[in-house]
Amino acid sequence: MRAHALPHHRARILPTLVLLAGAFYCLVPVAWVVVAATKSSTELFSTFTFAPGTALLDNLRDLFAYGDGQFLLWAANSALYAGAGSAASTLISTLAGYAMAKYDFRGRTVLFYAILAGVLLPGMTLAIPQYLIMSETGLVGGYWSVLLPGLISPFGIYLARVYATASVPDATLEAARIDGASEYRILGAIGLRMMLPGMVTIFMLQFVGTWNNFLLPYIMLSDESKFPITVGLYTLLSKGSSEPALYGIAIVGAAVSVIPLIALLLFLQRFWRLDLLSGGLKG
Amino acid sequence: MRIKGVSGPIAALGLAVLLAACSSGTNGGAGSTATQAAETGPVTLQHWCWSAGQKLKVEAFNKAHPNIQVRLTDAGGGTDTAAKLLTAGRAGNAPDTACLEYQTLPAMIVAGALADISAHTADVKDAFSPEVWTLTSFDGAVYGIPQDVGPMVMVYNRKRFDELKIEPPATWEDFAKVAADVREKDPEAYLATFAPAEFGNFAGLAQQAGASWWKIQDMTWTVGIADVPSLEVAGFWQGLIDKDLVKAEPLLTPEWNNQLNKGKILSWPSALWAPGVLYGIAEKQAGDWAIAPLPQWTKGDSRVAFQGGSAIAVTKNSQHAQAAATFAKWMNTDKAAYDIQIAEGEYPASLAGQQATSSSPPPKLVANQKDYWEIAAKAAQSTIPHISWGPNVSTAQSAFQDAAAAAVRDKTPLAEALKKTQQTVVDDMKATGFKVAGP
Amino acid sequence: MSTQAGARGSRAPYLFVAPAVLLFVAFLAVPIGYAVYLSARGLRLTGKGIFGTREEVFVGLDNYARTLTDPEFLAGFGRLALYGLISVPLTLGAALLFALLLDHAGSRARRFSRTAIFLPYAIPGVTASLLWGFMYLPSTSPFSYLTRELGLGGIPFLDGGGIYPSLANIAVWGGVGFNMIIIYTSLRGIPAELSDAARIDGASEWRIAWHVKIPLVAPALVLTGLFALIGTLQVYGEPTTLKPMTTEISQSWVPLMQIYRDAFLRDDLPLASAASVVLAVGTLVVSVVLLRITQRRAFGGMQ
Repeated sequence: MRAHALPHHRARILPTLVLLAGAFYCLVPVAWVVVAATKSSTELFSTFTFAPGTALLDNLRDLFAYGDGQFLLWAANSALYAGAGSAASTLISTLAGYAMAKYDFRGRTVLFYAILAGVLLPGMTLAIPQYLIMSETGLVGGYWSVLLPGLISPFGIYLARVYATASVPDATLEAARIDGASEYRILGAIGLRMMLPGMVTIFMLQFVGTWNNFLLPYIMLSDESKFPITVGLYTLLSKGSSEPALYGIAIVGAAVSVIPLIALLLFLQRFWRLDLLSGGLKG
Repeated sequence: MRIKGVSGPIAALGLAVLLAACSSGTNGGAGSTATQAAETGPVTLQHWCWSAGQKLKVEAFNKAHPNIQVRLTDAGGGTDTAAKLLTAGRAGNAPDTACLEYQTLPAMIVAGALADISAHTADVKDAFSPEVWTLTSFDGAVYGIPQDVGPMVMVYNRKRFDELKIEPPATWEDFAKVAADVREKDPEAYLATFAPAEFGNFAGLAQQAGASWWKIQDMTWTVGIADVPSLEVAGFWQGLIDKDLVKAEPLLTPEWNNQLNKGKILSWPSALWAPGVLYGIAEKQAGDWAIAPLPQWTKGDSRVAFQGGSAIAVTKNSQHAQAAATFAKWMNTDKAAYDIQIAEGEYPASLAGQQATSSSPPPKLVANQKDYWEIAAKAAQSTIPHISWGPNVSTAQSAFQDAAAAAVRDKTPLAEALKKTQQTVVDDMKATGFKVAGP
Repeated sequence: MSTQAGARGSRAPYLFVAPAVLLFVAFLAVPIGYAVYLSARGLRLTGKGIFGTREEVFVGLDNYARTLTDPEFLAGFGRLALYGLISVPLTLGAALLFALLLDHAGSRARRFSRTAIFLPYAIPGVTASLLWGFMYLPSTSPFSYLTRELGLGGIPFLDGGGIYPSLANIAVWGGVGFNMIIIYTSLRGIPAELSDAARIDGASEWRIAWHVKIPLVAPALVLTGLFALIGTLQVYGEPTTLKPMTTEISQSWVPLMQIYRDAFLRDDLPLASAASVVLAVGTLVVSVVLLRITQRRAFGGMQ
C-alpha cells in the first residue's frame, strides 16, 4: 500500500460503502452459481433463488459422469488451448516486441503499423475467413485449428514492445555487446530475464482471453471430445432445451470451471505489471 | 468439394507449406479415410448424430459388424449438425454418415453434400410406408434412410384436464373454446403456448390445413408460405393470442419449464417425441399426461403432418458409400436398433419398428395411458402423404422465427410475418438462380 | 527509443520477428485477403442434380450492395449503438470511480473490493450471460422475487426496451474490473508529491481527483475506452446466449449474429464475408477517428 498522509478521516465511510457496493454487485452472480450448483433441477425452479439446495453431490457426480467423463476432457482441452497456446504465444510476442523495441531493421515501421491495425481489428470478423483457411488446409476440427490462430496476438506484441522499451535499458545491451556476447545470448541472459514480469502479464491476458474464447472453437470444432469448457457448456445449455436435466449439469460445470481461473488470478495478481501497460502509452 | 481457385494464392504465400508441417501431428479424422487405398482391414466410418439413443444403437451395430466400425460424434442438435455438415463438406472433411432432419435434406442436396444411395436401397424400400419413404427420396434418387418420424399429436396434462373438467378438443374450433374455458377456470393457466421459434410446428399445422410451402414442377418452384391455408392458420392463432387465450412465448426455456411444472401449461400440440422431452422437464408429472389426436380443421377428419424426425444420410465425401449405406440401413430397420429407439422414446420410421411399439410399455410421462400406442399408430397412419420442403428451408426458418417473434412482440399480425417470410424465401431463391413462379 | 549501431545488419532481429510475421500473414493477412476475395463471389445455381446444384461464381460487388442495403444489417448497428451508449460510459465511469476510490487513502476494505470487482474478468462471457439470464427470468430472478414480494410485480428484464440495459449490464459486470485495474495501476504511477502538494494547498479529495489524477491517467482512459468500443462492435456471445429466453433478440440482432447466421445457417459464406469486411472496415474507421480526436495520446507511434 502506498504511504499516504491521512489529513482527515471524514471521507472514509462513503468511499468504503461505494467500494463494497461494487464488490457486492460483482459477487452476486458468482454467489448465485455456487448456490444453484447445490440444487436439483426441480429445486432450481421451485425454491427461492438464494436458498441452498440438497443435490450438490448428485450434481457433481452427474457432471463428472456426463458422457463418460467428458467434462474433465473439456477442462483438459481448455487447459491445453489456454496453457500451451498462451505460453507459445507469449514467447512469440516477446521475441517480436523485443526486436521491434531494441533493433533498427528494415520493415520495422511497416510491421509496427500492421500490428497496430491488428490490435484494432475485431478478432471475431476474422473467425469466418480463418475457418475457411483451416478448411482449405484440412485442419478444421482438430486441435491445431484452435491453437494456431491463437498464437498470433497483435496486442501481445504491442505490449511486449512497450515492456521491452520500459524495462530493458539500452546501456545494458551495449555493455554486453562490448563484452562480445552474441545477440542470442543477450536475449537469453538479459532481455528475457528483464522482461519476465511483462511476459507474465502477457501470458495472463492471453490465457484468460483464450480460456474465455467461444466463437473460434465453436466454429472450428465439431467433435465434442475436442471442445473447450466454454463450448462444452454452451452445447449442454442448447441441448438443455430438449433435455432439461442438462441445465443442472451446465450450472455445476460453470461453477466448477470458474474455480481454477479465480485461483490462478488471485495467485498471479501480484506478479503482473498492468501499470506498464498504461504507463507505456504516455510515450 | 473444395472451393475452386483458392489453393493457388495460398500456396503462393507459402502458407500451405507451413500448415502442412503443422498438420502432420493432427488426427486426420474423417479426411484420413479418404487416403486409404484398397480396403483390406475393417472399414471405419465417421458418423454424426445428436439423438439420445444413438450411442447404444452404434454400439450394437459395431458388435454385429466386425468389418465396419462406426465412430459416433455429437456435432450439436439438428440445426447445428446440418450447418456444420455443409461447411465440413465444402472443406472435404465431412463424416461418412450423419443424422439429418427431413427438412434440411433439400438444402443438402442442392449444396451437393449428399450421395444418392438408390443403388443400395432396393432391399429396404418396402420396410417403410410410402409416405415415410418419400421423406428421403426425390425423383428416384435416395438421399437417406428414415430413422424416426414425428406424426403430430396433442400431448396434454390429463390430471389437470380432469381437475378443470375439460376434454381434449377434437377440432381447432373446440380448441379455442377449451382455451377460453381454461383461462376462466384458472386465470394463471393456459391451454397451450404459441412459440414463434417453432417453425416446424407451424409448418406442420399449416400442412394439416392444406398448405404447400414448396412445390417444384418442370424445374420451376412455387412457394406457398403465405398461401390461403397458411394465412388461415395464422389467423386462428392470432385470435387466440389477441384474446390472451394462449401463452405467446418461447418454449422449453427455464421459465416455460417452471410454468409447466406448476401445472400452468396444460398441453402441447406437437408430435410423438414430445412425451420424452416433457419427461425430462417434469419428471414428477410422470403418469399424469396423455396424448390425444391432434385437433382437426373439419370435424371427423384425421389429417396430420409430420413434425421433426430424422434420417441417416451418406455424404458425398464418403469413400465407403456401400458400407455407409449398410450402416444406415441396419440402424433404421434392424430389430436391435428399433428396440433401443422405442426404449428411448423415439417413434421408429420403419413399419416393423412401429409395429413393435404395440408390445412396449408407453413412455414414462404417459405411463398410465393404456391406449397410447394405439393413438400413436393411428396418427402415424393419418399423415399426409407428400411433404415438400424447399432448397432453402434454413432461410425460411430463420426468417419465420424472426418475423413471428417480432409479430408477437410488437402485436403486429402474424399474417404479415408469413408474407415477409415468403418474400425473403422467394428473393433468396431468385438470387441463387432458381426459377420461381410469382413475384 | 533508440537503436544501436552495433546491431545493425545483424540477422538476429529478423529471426526474432520471423515467427510473429509468419503467423501474422497466415492467420490475419491471408484470412483478410481471402475474405475480400470471397466477398466478390456467390453461390449460384447450375443445372446439375434433381433440383440443381449451387456452385461458386464471381459476382462482383453484389454482396456488398446486398449488405449495405439490408435494413436488418443496418438496424443491427443501430441496436449496437444503443447498447454501446449504455455499456461503454457505464463501464468506464464505474471503473474510474472504483479506481479513484481504491487510490483514495480514506477507503477501507480496498484489497477485498479490488479482488471482488476484478473477479468477473475470470468468468467467460457465455457463463456470465447464463448467470445473468437466470437472474433475469421472472421465475428464477431474485430481484423480481423481491419486487413481487413488495407488491410491485416483476421487473421486465427481458421484455421491450429492458433488453438493452439487461445486456449492457452483463458487459459492465464483466468489464469494469479489468478497466479498473488498468486505471488503478496508472493512478499508482502518479508521484504522490503531486497530490500531497494540492492537499497542502487545501484542495479537497474530489478536486484532486478531478484536476490532478484524471488528467494524468487520460491515456489509460483512452485505451480502455478504445477497448470497450471494439468490444461493443464485437458483441456476439451475450445476446446469443440470452436469445432462447426472449423474443426480443432476433437472429440478426447485432451484425456479428447476422454474419454467423448467413455463414452457417443460410450457407452463404460470400455474403457473410462481405458483411465481415464491412464490419472490420467500420471498426478500423471508428478506432482511427477515436484516436484522432483524442490527439493520439495513446499508442505513441514510432518517433
